[in-house]
Amino acid sequence: MPFNARITMPAEARAGDIIEIRVLTRHPMDRGGQSDGKGGTVPRMILNRLTATYSGEQVFRLDMNTGISANPFVSFTTRAVASGDIVFEWREDGGATYTRTARLVVT
Amino acid sequence: MSSPISPHSRRPEGLSRRAVVAGGVAAVGLAALPPRAQAEDLQPLAELIARITEGAVPKRGKITLDIPQLVENGNSVDVKITVESPMTEADHVRWIHLIADKNPFPDMARFHLGPRCGRAEVATTLRLAASQKVTAVAALSTGGYVVADGDVVVTLSACIDGG
Repeated sequence: MPFNARITMPAEARAGDIIEIRVLTRHPMDRGGQSDGKGGTVPRMILNRLTATYSGEQVFRLDMNTGISANPFVSFTTRAVASGDIVFEWREDGGATYTRTARLVVT
Repeated sequence: MSSPISPHSRRPEGLSRRAVVAGGVAAVGLAALPPRAQAEDLQPLAELIARITEGAVPKRGKITLDIPQLVENGNSVDVKITVESPMTEADHVRWIHLIADKNPFPDMARFHLGPRCGRAEVATTLRLAASQKVTAVAALSTGGYVVADGDVVVTLSACIDGG
């Protein structure tokens, strides 16, 4: 499955700073219903959820429907509290999940 | 005397050129009707909003929806939503919901936020099936809802078969 994610955020921040996290994902986000050329239709296959977990708590969640474009871009903010990994997890139709992490150093 | 025109190229019986022209005019007339007449199955925007706010009428202001007025390609439309909120434990934005009432699935996305976001500022890329009004509804932890919308003209719509 062609999945790839590019996460752009600062590598370090001062405690209390608000950082912006930008996530660009490569995914076809098939909305389903198109003809497959053989008399059938293409099933829906999208990423339906993205969660971001940081220092033991979910800080952001995006529920996606077919109204989100292919290769979706998402940006959000979070407050730097402690050094650690920010874990991004995508959930795809059919139950597959993809996980990426990004390290943030808080000074 | 035999006709110089082959019988195979005769007009089909019962469908005169005049009928075809008249039919075409009628079709153009139909297409020119307001979109309501064609899309009776679309839910009105007010109903879509009332469903997610549990009947409450959202207020205007304190929320900004940043979306281009004219887009060439409905397959990817940049949108940015900002809500004025201190984002503290007592007063923060719980979620932001995006609606496009002329999409086949009007509910496009919901951003769940919390006090640890620091700012209520999110952006994403949308898929729009037609020129329409895009609406963002935000739920506040204090109990109210705020709404903002923007009209978008889409030159090439998404959701064309094969696209």
